[in-house]
Amino acid sequence: MSSLSGQGAGKAYWRSLEDLAGSVELRALAEREFPEGVAEEPATSRRDFLKLMGASLALAGATACRRWPVERIVPFAHRPEGYVPGEPVQFATAMDLAGAATGLLVTSYDGRPIKIEGNPLHPSSLGGTDPLAQAALLELYDPDRSTAPLRIARGQQIASSFEDVERFSRELFRQLRERRGEGLRVLSEESSSPSLREMRSRLLRALPAARWHEWEPLTRDAAREGAALAFGRPYRSWLLLDRADVIVCLDADPLMTEPGAVRYARDFARARRAEGGRMNRLYAIEPALSITGASADHRLALSRAAVALVAGRIAAELFLRCGLPLPGGAEELRHALERFERHPFRPPLVTDIVRDLLAARGRAVVLAGPGQPPAVHALVHLLNAALGNAGRTVAYAPDPDPERESHAESISALARDAGAGRVEALLLLGGNPVFDAPADVDFAGALGRVPHTIHLSLYVNETSRACAWHVPRAHFLESWGDARGHDGTLSVVQPLIEPLYDGRSPIELLAHALDDGVTSGYDIVRRTIAPALGGGDFEKGWRRVLHDGLLEGSAWAAETPSPVRPTWAPALAALAEADPSAGPGRVELVFARDLSVYDGRFANNGWLQELPDPITRVTWDNPALVSPSTAAELGVGTGDLVRIRAAAREAEVAVFVLPGLPAGTMTVSPGYGRRAAGRVGDGVGFDVYPLRVGRALWRAEAEVVPTGRRWPIASVQDHHLIDVLGMKERGRRAVRLIREGTLADFLDHPGFAKQARGHEGELPQLYRPWSYEGHKWGMTVDLSACIGCGSCTIACQAENNIPIVGKREVARGREMHWIRVDRYFSGTADSPEVRFQPMTCHHCENAPCEQVCPVGATLHDHEGLNVMVYNRCIGTRYCSNNCPYKVRRFNWFDNHRGLGPVEKMVFNPEVSVRSRGVMEKCTFCTQRIEAARAEAKKQGRPLRDGDVEPACAQACPTEAIVFGDLNDPGSRVRRLQDHPRAYGVLEEIGTRPRLKYLARLRNPAGSESGRA
Amino acid sequence: MAEAVLDERALDNTSDDPRRRAPLVLGANDLVTITDKVCRVPEAPRMPRAWYVALCVSAAFTAVLAAMIGYLVFTGVGVWGLNRPVGWAFDITNFVFWVGIGHAGTLISAILFLFRQSWRTAINRSAEAMTIFAVVCAGLFPAIHVGRIWVIYWVFPYPNQMAVWPNFRSPLLWDVFAVGTYLVVSVLFWYMGMVPDLATLRDRATTRARHLVYGVLAMGWRGSARHWHRYEKAYLLLAALATPLVLSVHSVVSFDFAVSMLPGWHTTIFPPYFVAGAIFSGFGMVLTLLVPARELFGLKDVITLRHLDNMCKIVVATGSIVGYAYAVEFFVAWYGQNEYELFTFLNRALGPYGWCYWTMVSCNVVLPQLFWSGKLRRTPWVVFGLSLVVNVGMWFERFVIIVSSLHRDYLPSSWGFYKPTWVEILTLMGSFGLFFTLFLLFLRFLPMVAMAEVKAVMPRPAAEEPEHEVAARALAGRGGSGEPT
Repeated sequence: MSSLSGQGAGKAYWRSLEDLAGSVELRALAEREFPEGVAEEPATSRRDFLKLMGASLALAGATACRRWPVERIVPFAHRPEGYVPGEPVQFATAMDLAGAATGLLVTSYDGRPIKIEGNPLHPSSLGGTDPLAQAALLELYDPDRSTAPLRIARGQQIASSFEDVERFSRELFRQLRERRGEGLRVLSEESSSPSLREMRSRLLRALPAARWHEWEPLTRDAAREGAALAFGRPYRSWLLLDRADVIVCLDADPLMTEPGAVRYARDFARARRAEGGRMNRLYAIEPALSITGASADHRLALSRAAVALVAGRIAAELFLRCGLPLPGGAEELRHALERFERHPFRPPLVTDIVRDLLAARGRAVVLAGPGQPPAVHALVHLLNAALGNAGRTVAYAPDPDPERESHAESISALARDAGAGRVEALLLLGGNPVFDAPADVDFAGALGRVPHTIHLSLYVNETSRACAWHVPRAHFLESWGDARGHDGTLSVVQPLIEPLYDGRSPIELLAHALDDGVTSGYDIVRRTIAPALGGGDFEKGWRRVLHDGLLEGSAWAAETPSPVRPTWAPALAALAEADPSAGPGRVELVFARDLSVYDGRFANNGWLQELPDPITRVTWDNPALVSPSTAAELGVGTGDLVRIRAAAREAEVAVFVLPGLPAGTMTVSPGYGRRAAGRVGDGVGFDVYPLRVGRALWRAEAEVVPTGRRWPIASVQDHHLIDVLGMKERGRRAVRLIREGTLADFLDHPGFAKQARGHEGELPQLYRPWSYEGHKWGMTVDLSACIGCGSCTIACQAENNIPIVGKREVARGREMHWIRVDRYFSGTADSPEVRFQPMTCHHCENAPCEQVCPVGATLHDHEGLNVMVYNRCIGTRYCSNNCPYKVRRFNWFDNHRGLGPVEKMVFNPEVSVRSRGVMEKCTFCTQRIEAARAEAKKQGRPLRDGDVEPACAQACPTEAIVFGDLNDPGSRVRRLQDHPRAYGVLEEIGTRPRLKYLARLRNPAGSESGRA
Repeated sequence: MAEAVLDERALDNTSDDPRRRAPLVLGANDLVTITDKVCRVPEAPRMPRAWYVALCVSAAFTAVLAAMIGYLVFTGVGVWGLNRPVGWAFDITNFVFWVGIGHAGTLISAILFLFRQSWRTAINRSAEAMTIFAVVCAGLFPAIHVGRIWVIYWVFPYPNQMAVWPNFRSPLLWDVFAVGTYLVVSVLFWYMGMVPDLATLRDRATTRARHLVYGVLAMGWRGSARHWHRYEKAYLLLAALATPLVLSVHSVVSFDFAVSMLPGWHTTIFPPYFVAGAIFSGFGMVLTLLVPARELFGLKDVITLRHLDNMCKIVVATGSIVGYAYAVEFFVAWYGQNEYELFTFLNRALGPYGWCYWTMVSCNVVLPQLFWSGKLRRTPWVVFGLSLVVNVGMWFERFVIIVSSLHRDYLPSSWGFYKPTWVEILTLMGSFGLFFTLFLLFLRFLPMVAMAEVKAVMPRPAAEEPEHEVAARALAGRGGSGEPT
């Protein structure tokens, strides 16, 4: 009831009756007034009932009668006055994740967001998204989100209200103000929000003795410190991968996990299509098997410590042998590099890398990942500067927050002070440090010594439970905010819906604490952005920003900083001590970012939990990954539970054997094993945060002991451990299903993919062929561009109301994804080649499924779609048995049973929710085709290429998926289907698929006609 | 002398002495004793204790079947262990298995009738009953395996307000017609053949209720010459009608697989291979049922060792055909050099379901070869044991064809593994419960041997037989319509 009480005025706006019906006020009225009335009047007569109902309705009307603050949000493509009920409208917003935002367009249906897409104008997205952004929608409607403030005392959660919180905080901050903030600490997540920074400085101005801490478990501090070492002050850097012909990734994953990865993936993929005979070349040296590594032309698996040896060796070759000038006064650096040169380990690839880097000066880039020590980052910056890449392929801007200490230092300082009783009040803005703080920081213990703790959080998580107060946080889709993209582009986060559970955003909470008049998020954001909009009409500029989703020209001004004297050379020299071969019994524990749950914050998101890891294809788990040789050495196999001991702490984790990992390492991804995530995320996987200490967040020396117990692992591929016979056959087939050639092959024989097998001609048909008078829909997937990220899977899940089924059902082979990304390995177990193949319904011209359905529930339509009539399906599953691509999904149970009203809001109203016992599958997003057709008809024009974009194609960061009309000679899909690289999977069995693949191209060093 | 010969015959009618025709009914039986012996069972106030025990067990399993189906319908097909590559497993395996069992009845009653194999008379009634009960069990599985059983009637081509017809290109629809026709014709054939015997029971009825029920069922049969004339014409016509069905039903069932695209299913030898397998399994099940039944109800004179011997010969013959089919599948996979098919067959024998494959080969091809030995063919407990082996083997054959082909098809990314759940196992056991319950009730209430037909193939009582006919028969040795094989 906060809006009525005038407190939560920030987000109170409504656009439609539906919106109002979903409003918290009305719900509260319906839920509270009526039962109370009943309770007071046990003998309610029919007349009383009608009176009460009438009163309720009148009150509902009364909520509409209040004066709503004027907060206009501006839809992307339509003016609000043109609002048509039932017509989806897109709004631009942005999602900030650990300090880097992706611009989004959110489709809203009668005031209810139902689909998230990338904002084509936003430089961090260009229309694509990663799976996390797609899945944010489900988080919004998560019924496990906290709904009201809680007072927590001795483990007891007592329901409270915002009035209570405000009463308490007003008193607390009054006392704090008297002491100039002495004893107040704020712990924040990393955020790019200028408004939050503004609120921070206001807070610190008002309460100068307070201290602001920041903690991000998957911190990128090493890069920041590396830049500070190299240039004398911290710099942000971002890549201009479209200009890079040679990319050397040292334990870096720019295509998936770096801020701006969606953009990088697009830039990378554009140069993988060999247009004009040109292709970039990607080298990856890494301890884990990342998405970038999987796409690399050359990949070397090395332990995390040994990656520095390659970096040092490349630098030594370039600076000492190839005459690249060392910066002045760098004798120490020379000594350090000499030590690398003397190291007995002779990493392969270095010669090729050095040659390519020299040949592509100014068109190459060397990258180090967050897991590498600052000295390696500094060396990489030095290399890029010396090679002339800085400013061309990698851009620099001064860090907007140069003063802050590192995350690890910050949280340990906070814990130290709290433990010493120097902290009286702690305000936690999001985050979950009790779960994810370094193991050597006893954060929970420290929290216990702080008298007043307030935790703002989406969920009542582990940290909330250890605090005195919990305040529900507003989701970014329901609150005002702002954020900066990977290159600094400023966006306004505009809400799509009134807060479902009446939460607060961090800036609002701080505003309340400061009590400086401006308390609504809307006003705070407008105040912050006003200077950036410059002179002129503020309202006009504001509307422009809301409409576009970004402020034009707000990216950071790129500089080319010059390296300072390398004082870090001794630190680098120390890295030359690394031994790439691990000792017996001990393994190097490598911490990697999980692609589903991030640092654990998305653990309660079923879409993400069920999204298979692109490499392992494992769902609902974070097994420890080891190479086959390490597994043999440890005497374990997939599914065996092991006890990992590192830094005097233990964790039990299941093992998953994965080729392509360096011997003697074990890759673990933290964020699982949550204890207070919610009904979906609790107890899923293993908590490995206890193995992580502040001084070495990314690697640890560990001892691994088998426990002899087993753990079921639900993988969507290789559901069953595969015998030798199957493994051999899989290897044989993989190279034919995913055809691949080098750039040289392609230039010499453009049609190499078609020649991979004979017998591709059209088989004779018994039935009369279809004639397509109008449209003829088709799709292509460019395997050269696909990086396997899985965005298409989640985008499809969101668009098409696809249920999740849970770990047990996935383990039985019953996952429901309409589009999946098959992953195959070829080559040796030590250095395998990874091949991805998005697989969805091929809409075969001669569809095996259509013929066998006894009731004709799956049919060919006049535009070539293989349509599925859910209402007619009786569920014989014959179609699935007969589908050679196995893309049909059966509803074994009622997968939507027991959904609450809020969970149901996530459904796309244009797509049927399928009942139990029917088959479903990809429709090529037929609802989007129809919507585009209606729109074109309204405008009195024919459908144009690009009007229809299925969810998968829309979300794809690399534009690998292209959809369109095959009858249109000018369409992209027509051109691509006629491309020499185009081929059909299993064409030889006569299905005549509508979905064609473009053979994958690789550009390994030594294929001379390929220019690197 | 004559008496000594009779005694010798009483011991054994299996020797193929060309000089004289082996009798089809042994012992001191005449037309009266046959009627007595057969009618004794439905007329007895009490059945042997073993019958009650068997009925209790079977009925309990039938109840389990009902419970499993209820659970399935209320929860979803997900209670079975099926998954994405393996969309069919126990359900369709059981369907094909039971349809196969259902083959022997019509084969015995129709084809052997047309071929004038008089020995069939002792077993055709029970074999036909078995057929019908097996087809009932078979029909159950396609009905319950669908996701939405409440709209299963959409597979029937009936005029409806939606103006939608089933898909006539789908082999599943052909199945509906083939199995439906087979069930109807089998029931008709069985019932029509039973009319004279029902009249016998009516005539012997001692209570009003029995008189009424059997009277209605006998449909006014009086045994007049005209009745017999019409009866025999109709019987012949139905036999001629049923004969192609024996071949067509299982051919159509095999189209479910042969018409599909799946390596391991998509093969042209399936129709004959399935028919041979069906006859094989059908005779296996007849033996399983009749070996204990003839012991239990004292019908060893009627269902003689010679009958067992003949059926075992058919088992070894069809078992070898099936074995040949197994070999040809491998040959064709190799000869065709279709990589997918080649792998499917290698995987079938050596993959994760290899043990099922080798169980199938042992049960269907290797062990039935023991029936080359005449001594074993005439040892009832051996016959019973091997008939069980045949049943197991044929169930595995269908499981192997269905599951081992499905679990690894074209795209290795979609390969999977299937394990049955307890629901599927109990459903299979329950279907046996239903089958045996129906069969036990048949034994209790209906004449299990076609008395009228048996009497027709019995030698006339010596008193009625003219001397010259006896001499002529002794000399002729063979020929004539009553000749056993």
